[in-house]
Amino acid sequence: MATRLVFLSLVCGAVSVSVGEHLTTSEVPPKRPYFVDCRSPEQETFSCWWSAGDYQNLTGPGALSVFFQKNRDVWRECPDYSTAGENHCYFNSTYTSIWIPYCVQLRSQIQDIVYHQMCFTVDEIVVPDPPVGLNWTLLNISQTGQHFDILIQWEPPPSADVKKGWISLVYEPQYRAINMSDWKPLEVERACYQSVYGLKTGMEYEIRVRCKQAASEKFSEFSEHLYVYIPKVPTKETLFPFTMILIFGAVGVIIVLMLIIFSQQQRLMVYFLPPVPVPKIMGIDPELLKKGKLDELNSILSGHHTFKPELYNDDLWVEFIELDIDDQDGRSHHSDTHKLLGSENLNGNCLNIKDDDSGRASCYEPELPDSDMLDRSQAEAREEKASLLDSEGRAAHSSTTDPSPPGRSHPGATAEGASRSHPQIQSQLSSQSWVNLDFYAQVSNITPAGGVLLSPGQQSKIEKTAEAHSSPKTQKCQLAMTTDSAYTSEMDAKNISATPSLNGNEPKVTVSPYTVSEAPASSVPPVSDYTTVQAVDSQQSLLLNPSTLPTKGTPMPAGYLTPEQLNSIMP
Amino acid sequence: MGFDHFLFPVSVLFLVLVCLDLEYRVTSAPICAHGDAGCHLLSVSDLFDRVIQHSNRMHSLSSDLYSEFEKERFLPVRNQLGRATCKCHTSRILTPNGKENAQRTDREELTQVILRLLVSWMNPLLQFHQSVAHNEELSNFSSNKALELSDMVHELKNGVEKVAEKMQLLGIISNSLNGVFPAEASLSSSASNEASHMRDYELLHCFRRDSDKVQNYLKILKCKIVPEHGC
Repeated sequence: MATRLVFLSLVCGAVSVSVGEHLTTSEVPPKRPYFVDCRSPEQETFSCWWSAGDYQNLTGPGALSVFFQKNRDVWRECPDYSTAGENHCYFNSTYTSIWIPYCVQLRSQIQDIVYHQMCFTVDEIVVPDPPVGLNWTLLNISQTGQHFDILIQWEPPPSADVKKGWISLVYEPQYRAINMSDWKPLEVERACYQSVYGLKTGMEYEIRVRCKQAASEKFSEFSEHLYVYIPKVPTKETLFPFTMILIFGAVGVIIVLMLIIFSQQQRLMVYFLPPVPVPKIMGIDPELLKKGKLDELNSILSGHHTFKPELYNDDLWVEFIELDIDDQDGRSHHSDTHKLLGSENLNGNCLNIKDDDSGRASCYEPELPDSDMLDRSQAEAREEKASLLDSEGRAAHSSTTDPSPPGRSHPGATAEGASRSHPQIQSQLSSQSWVNLDFYAQVSNITPAGGVLLSPGQQSKIEKTAEAHSSPKTQKCQLAMTTDSAYTSEMDAKNISATPSLNGNEPKVTVSPYTVSEAPASSVPPVSDYTTVQAVDSQQSLLLNPSTLPTKGTPMPAGYLTPEQLNSIMP
Repeated sequence: MGFDHFLFPVSVLFLVLVCLDLEYRVTSAPICAHGDAGCHLLSVSDLFDRVIQHSNRMHSLSSDLYSEFEKERFLPVRNQLGRATCKCHTSRILTPNGKENAQRTDREELTQVILRLLVSWMNPLLQFHQSVAHNEELSNFSSNKALELSDMVHELKNGVEKVAEKMQLLGIISNSLNGVFPAEASLSSSASNEASHMRDYELLHCFRRDSDKVQNYLKILKCKIVPEHGC
């Protein structure tokens, strides 16, 4: 029983499968004949064509018939089966009306079966013929010779009556390189020409054009292909390296210029932007200050009457200006001075006040001087003594008219022409008592009366003057000596004052203009150990007048003037 | 701050002006600026050219609008019966239906036909634009195009009238046209009633056809009047 059921089911399944197969194969009916398309190339005629489909027995001519209905009128058969070709029905202009609805039917020969129907208006089925007469002209070639532009032209299809305007066409050209597969479309335009830019030389190009009615969407077939080719121009390439050389050369020159500018920046800055000159005081050369020519500077400064230093009663002896003076000549006398000095040290501070900017040493503020000061003062003292000794010696040897009072110009024993800004204290000197005295006053001027105008001077000139005096030319060169900030001994000072004239009234020396006062000319006044300070100049120069005695008549203490005395003396 | 307030409306205005599709706008600009004496120098040929250009644009616009409506409505493929059987309200106007027929028609009649067509479409297009404007389903593009279309018809009608006047002035055509227009008015009113019953795309289909007619007739007319090679 079960086996029978199985057998039956199997049989039924097989039958159903076979039936199914049979059904599936017959599901698809054979394709009926149908209209492929209808087309009007110029909106004056049109034609329709069909296909027989799967009905192979209907492919032959006359197997199928076409009927058309114009404006829902009667059905008429196709007027022309042959002109347009096989399976075509051609309607000439007499049968063609635009803007009129048409319907065509594909019927069997015996006209009882309608296989297919199509309705349209002729203006909708307008598909023009392709353009003809394609040609191209070269517009230009680029400077590099790599690219060129062309202008392509064509003619509208001859069938389309464009001139009368029955059809208005627009065109679309396309181009591509031969080996490429994609066509590049250009703009759709009404004109029968268009430019193509950027084509490459040495490559062959293909061009084709198609057209369509302006308002429709159906394009025509493509025209015949046009081939464009321009060979590469080799001559143009020679310009390439030349331009490259120019460019690289220019770049190189620019780089070199930049390097030069950066390396010579400072010099160029100075050249192009010169430094603004520093304001100068008229008449004063800053070089003077650098080289330490104080004598000239002093002379210049003295001309400015506004330059008046403050006079501090108490600090008159305190202020010093220390100058770096080369003591080359003084070194040689160290051996001599060593013997002289011995244990001599600074007794009174004011006697050994050295040129020191510290301002510490003063007569009224006894201060332990620095070791430097001490050494320096010692050295200077030694030098002084040495020079003085020499000068004294020389002075003693030299035959002078008058015995030089040793004390007269000891204050001015160290005489120099240049002026200093602060006074050296040389108030008490004698030829023998010049121990530890400071001889650094310069003779800036000598009055006719034989008064010596002392001003603070340099000590470096001591040796020079000492040596200068040793020469026999001394007397003749007295002018030169004094003006050259020479060190003049009292002897020489006397000589200077006495030699030029017997009266001794006229000083030949006119170095500095600031002779404060002039003592009356006189013969050699009595020598005293002290030379009074007659006047103190604005530049703190002391005018020592040998003839005058202290007015107050108070005995001068050895070595210094008390400030009260100074006050009395000073104007 | 004030400058910013001023800048925004200006930029908006600028964008609006740019985005407006000015391609189809043809405004009448005076050709001759030297007074009446100079205006006679304007040739009929130039007038025809302008009018033909205008009609070309109008036809393109109508085609675009029709294809857009066709897409939106998902109308069936062409060759359907439905499309071809729509009746236009201008069907009763007798028009030459071929090139030879048009060439055989005399100038006055051709001019008259053109004017009739244009006049009959003025009101329906206006109504069409109004219906499109109220329909929110349609895009603004369609609404603007519809408005442009109705404007264009007006302008084209004026242009063709001017050409007709010029031709009458020059004696190219007779003065028999003047009697036509009162009849046209009545025709248009009845036609517009019919047109209101049509659907949008049917109306556009009809108008597209008629604008094509106008375009071709104008060209034929120009070829007849202005002697050129090939005409």
